[in-house]
Amino acid sequence: MKYVLEVKNLKKRYGSITTVDGVSFSVKTGEIFGILGPNGAGKTTTLEMIEALRSIDGGTATLAGLDVAEQPNRVKEIIGVQLQSSSFFDNLYLGELLRMFGGLYSQQVDVARLLDEVQLGDKIKSQVGTLSGGQKQRFSVAAALVNNPKILFLDEPTTGLDPQSRRNLWELIQNIRDKNITVVMTTHYMEEAELLCDRVAVMDKGKIIALDTPDKLIQDLLKKGFKKKKKVQEADLEDVFINLTGKELREG
Amino acid sequence: MQKLRRIVALSRFLTVRYLRDKTALFFTFAFPLIFLVVFGGIFGSDNGPSFDVALINRSTEPFSEEFVEIAAQGDFLNFQETEDFEVASEQLGRGEFSAIVELPEGFGALDEEGRPSGSIITYVDEADQQQSAAFSAVMQGLLDGVNAQFIDVDPPPLAIEQQSIQTANLTQFDYILAGLIGFSILTLGIFSMTEGFAVDKKNGALKRLRVAPIEAWQLIIATAISRVLVGILTVAVMFIVAVVFFDFNMRGDYLSFGLFTILSTICLFGFGMAIAGWAKDGNQAAPLSNLVAFPMMFLSGVFFPRFLMPDFLQAMTFYLPLTPVVDGLRLILTEGSTILQIGPQLAVIGAWIVIIYTVAFKVFRWD
Repeated sequence: MKYVLEVKNLKKRYGSITTVDGVSFSVKTGEIFGILGPNGAGKTTTLEMIEALRSIDGGTATLAGLDVAEQPNRVKEIIGVQLQSSSFFDNLYLGELLRMFGGLYSQQVDVARLLDEVQLGDKIKSQVGTLSGGQKQRFSVAAALVNNPKILFLDEPTTGLDPQSRRNLWELIQNIRDKNITVVMTTHYMEEAELLCDRVAVMDKGKIIALDTPDKLIQDLLKKGFKKKKKVQEADLEDVFINLTGKELREG
Repeated sequence: MQKLRRIVALSRFLTVRYLRDKTALFFTFAFPLIFLVVFGGIFGSDNGPSFDVALINRSTEPFSEEFVEIAAQGDFLNFQETEDFEVASEQLGRGEFSAIVELPEGFGALDEEGRPSGSIITYVDEADQQQSAAFSAVMQGLLDGVNAQFIDVDPPPLAIEQQSIQTANLTQFDYILAGLIGFSILTLGIFSMTEGFAVDKKNGALKRLRVAPIEAWQLIIATAISRVLVGILTVAVMFIVAVVFFDFNMRGDYLSFGLFTILSTICLFGFGMAIAGWAKDGNQAAPLSNLVAFPMMFLSGVFFPRFLMPDFLQAMTFYLPLTPVVDGLRLILTEGSTILQIGPQLAVIGAWIVIIYTVAFKVFRWD
């Protein structure tokens, strides 16, 4: 199937406010699809409707041929989700949490391997409360993969992380895509969208105002006669930091 | 079937989690145990009612001394000799004594037939009818016993039979144990949900759970199972403490005890679930929990028996969910009833289970 996710005219209303106003896009199997936009654009609400966490007020979302509104549980069986502010039960170890989530899908989980993949192998007996921000996000991703999903949804995965953790998470996301898991992610970081995403939907005030590959979007802008105000240097401060402190992950 | 397996799997993790939660453990185990030890210490190892009595002996007759010795041997009367009637009256008023016994001058003087004779004067607090009556009965029994010993003549024409009251020898501790077990089930069922579940909802842990194909009823049942397991453990610990440290005699059968504990936990947890399932966070859940739980603590016979209440209040409080729990526990533990013999209690508990779970399923919110 070429398009694993098709969203048509999706709408969400809260009283008189329409937070998602007729959003349409399709995601190709195996791509990393980004939704880029400022806070309040409606990215999270859009995602949560597709994830069957919020009711859909208008339009449809079809995932792997399943209508989300009509078969939410079957959709949930085949997706993985990292929420924007993920919280996990205290008093359970990481290993136990993964097994608990696995159990919700009736899946056995190779906990050690999964944690290794996100470089948390030595934290199998730690609790989430003891993890740093970057570690929490990596665990969140691991938890989203317990059921070997077809699509992974990531909501602002690197917000609040330091540069090293961000880069590490980018690598992780690319590894996941390389395993043939489609990734749909939201972000408000431009360079992240440019680096990771095969295609990007630009969202503002509940609507998608542009949708294309990052290159094409930039080309289109340049064709309009746009000139960047500052001369673009070959490196920026983030590169300076990484260079000084080393690319390996350093956990505080 | 697969859904059931998922529920059971989830309940295992919820149980493990609960048993690692230090605050929850304190309120579920330690708190009721503290009550048990305190109340048990006050009322425990008790062989029945006994009376502290002030004794004023104004008689110089030798018999009066012997009388005091005989009286002191009994189990029911603790005599404390004193000289000052005024002080003794005050102490009587304060409840330090149940009665004052005065052996007046000349008590025990031998009459024409050589028998000690005389009248004992007893003073009781006229405000306490129940205790006065009981005390009088005991004193009369004592007197009759003495009469029988020292007067070796044919039984007097008006024979006084000493009636010993056949009770099941229920002590106050028996009442307390049933009440406190009920109390710990109440704590587990309601307060643990206000703390734990409401917090999970507020911080998004429940939302994360909902990413998986789990529905509200599955979470409710899984949580119920975990609470029942912890409930069995808690009650077992309290029971063992009662048996080992307070000489409690189990008069019922363990199967009935276990089944009834499970049923009671399911019932009271329904209230906790209804509240925490509906509330958005602890601020909404806490007042509701208090509103439901605190009246029950005082009106359902946890800290004092309900037969002390006026009739109309007894009738009303019979239907509070905690009441049949405490009553049923008492009937099983101390009166040896089997689970089949406590129909009225089962009926009220059953009715509440149906009502409260219907409500809980309807008002549940994930966030």
